[in-house]
Amino acid sequence: MTTISRPIFDPQEFDTFGCHPFENDPATPDRITRQVYVERQVSSWNVNMKDGSQLQFWGFKDPTISGSDSPWPSKIIRVKQGQIFHCMFKPSKGAHTIHWHGIEPTPMNDGVGHTSFEVKSSYTYQWCAHQAGTYLYHCHKNTVLHFEMGMYGVLIVDPVTKSPDTNNPNYLYDPLPGDSAPGITTGAPYSAESILVFDDVDPRWHNLDHNAGMCGDDVGLDKFNPKYFLINGVHNGRSETDTKTVTKVVAGKNVLVRLANASYSRLYITLPVDAWIVEVDGRPLRANRAKGAFAAPRKLAANTRLEVAVAQRYSLWIPNIPRGDYRITGNFHHWITNKKHFDGTAVAKIIAT
Amino acid sequence: MRRRQFLKYGSVVAVFTTATVSLPSLLAAQIADPGDLPTGDDADFDLEIVDVDVELIDGSTVPMYAFSHAGQPPSIPGPILRVKQGDTVRIDIRNSSTKPHGFQILGQTNAATTGIAPSEGDGDDKVRIEFVATKPGTYFYVDGDNAPINRVLGLHGALIVEPTNGYADGAARKKPMPYPAGSATANMKSLFTAFGEATIDGKQARFPGKPWQAGREYVWIFNQIDPVLCRRIAAGENPSASEFQEQFHPRYFTINGLCGMDAAHDKATCPTGHVGEPALIRSMNAGLATHSPHIHGNHVFVLTQSNANGVPVYQQDLFEHDVWLMPPMMIKDVLLPFTTPPDLPPAPWRMVQEKYPLQYPMHCHNEISQTSAGGSYPMGLMTDWEIEGPLVTS
Ligand SMILES: [Cu+2]
Ligand SMILES: [Cu+2]
Repeated sequence: MTTISRPIFDPQEFDTFGCHPFENDPATPDRITRQVYVERQVSSWNVNMKDGSQLQFWGFKDPTISGSDSPWPSKIIRVKQGQIFHCMFKPSKGAHTIHWHGIEPTPMNDGVGHTSFEVKSSYTYQWCAHQAGTYLYHCHKNTVLHFEMGMYGVLIVDPVTKSPDTNNPNYLYDPLPGDSAPGITTGAPYSAESILVFDDVDPRWHNLDHNAGMCGDDVGLDKFNPKYFLINGVHNGRSETDTKTVTKVVAGKNVLVRLANASYSRLYITLPVDAWIVEVDGRPLRANRAKGAFAAPRKLAANTRLEVAVAQRYSLWIPNIPRGDYRITGNFHHWITNKKHFDGTAVAKIIAT
Repeated sequence: MRRRQFLKYGSVVAVFTTATVSLPSLLAAQIADPGDLPTGDDADFDLEIVDVDVELIDGSTVPMYAFSHAGQPPSIPGPILRVKQGDTVRIDIRNSSTKPHGFQILGQTNAATTGIAPSEGDGDDKVRIEFVATKPGTYFYVDGDNAPINRVLGLHGALIVEPTNGYADGAARKKPMPYPAGSATANMKSLFTAFGEATIDGKQARFPGKPWQAGREYVWIFNQIDPVLCRRIAAGENPSASEFQEQFHPRYFTINGLCGMDAAHDKATCPTGHVGEPALIRSMNAGLATHSPHIHGNHVFVLTQSNANGVPVYQQDLFEHDVWLMPPMMIKDVLLPFTTPPDLPPAPWRMVQEKYPLQYPMHCHNEISQTSAGGSYPMGLMTDWEIEGPLVTS
């Protein structure tokens, strides 16, 4: 029988590509004066699951905040479009990185081991976000494990301008001359914001070692059986009441819902109210030839399913929200069979009064 | 390595009359393209189906099936078949595997055959399909028999239909586009017209450099391998489709048949070029898992998305994603603009210490797919892409 052989490779390179990625603590190349500065370190937390058990999670803590106040999942980072951003990152418990997911900087500031380096003890990341929108940040070392262990947070790039509508003073993005965004108010002005990161948890993975599997061991990272389902770190037994997952708004104002999928499942989101998809992956839906934008906002009718791919982000805009309670439902389905996981529903809430 | 096998015999009389080119009814809503009429040109291919052993990234081997150009080494995915819109395409298939197989092009009409018995070896037992290629875009060819088993076990590949009038700027013909002028959407034409323009409407534009160039494209076919099921089937077991789907437990995740570092080193897989050289990527998922490909360094524009029958739907709105959703059998043509990574600090800052080439990964973000045999991150469905140097305009 014919054999299709693996391409010829250099064993030493194979080793640094996977097993022993390059670790370093370089100075930030082409460093310039910063306008925003944050710090992150690596820490671990015990988090309550629905059945009362506690699991270990890893994440990024802000060392300028005293220990227990720095939550898991890691604190939201908000910067303004156009600001020079620096993050001093000091990992511990082995090498880690921060990948600014959706932000597109130079490779050294992109946080990927095999295309640059993993941070041994300290590095200052530098970038300058050119487009307001919804992003994530997460560790990119042995990512399959470190992302599941909770090493992620939300990164929001805010626009520079404010909306003239005093009821809805915040823009999702700066409207530009020549923008066309039929169906919505350009810029998607809002009053209240619901930021929801959906996650699923396989408890077995939470006992694995930092480098598990990296040098060719079979540690079962092909077997993912999620048992717990969370939004913003809150398990699905509490997500309809917890302040981290319930957004309050004055009826008649506009709400912005930012969605992200940090699970390893197919995630289907439904809202019981009409909404507009106004941003995907940090890019506003608008048409502006000169700016190279070629899309229009898309209506998401009430109770229509929106599938959010893993690590994708969607912003939904609900104008003029009527009085009422709104359940934002996420259903988690198996990534191969597409069958819904047992207990695989997590619900967040918007309360408009 | 994947060469165009495209034989032109000049003006053969068209076998199909225009009126009988029966498009599936779902196409009715889409604008039919004038270029879909038969041109009288031919495209002929001679394919073979064989049993193979595939060596995986950890050195283990699994039995699978593969396509080849007859008499040439087999590959998974099969060779890329490239035709022009309106061509009369003839594909001869010989089954040199030990099991019966079929062949079909999803999304093209009259392009299927099933139950081809194993060849007797006398060279006469080929089966032919013949159809007129319509609607430019990316299509799956597969062994549709025993679905999805034979397909997932290696029998899949890409058929690419190129447009006869692929220009975004009408008669000027300075802006090539891999879709026909007659039925591409206004936004698709606007995007391809914008490539290579330093200014638009008197303002600094987003895509200085070159227009898209015909042939500047890559094919990314995703698949997953369950070595246990591969071996059981090679040993003679015949699971039903539902048993296969129930039991499918992939341990290897491939792009163009390669994992991790092997894919990152494969020239046909890894997009390279300078700033200002936009590239088309035809992404396809032949497997059963839903992938979430995520690209670093640049977002992509999603240009087409296949419908349930495998026909590309040209997108009205070009969503820009850094993660795009790829359920089983999905085909999406995406455009990687090759701009300067947009989140560098602005001028007058210049990159001095960090030098070209700039390397970025593309990987599935359902990170289970980043493993092989239960570990070995990142030896899964990933590759790199590379910006070789600064802006080029000609
Ligand atoms: Cu980490
Ligand atoms: Cu990411």
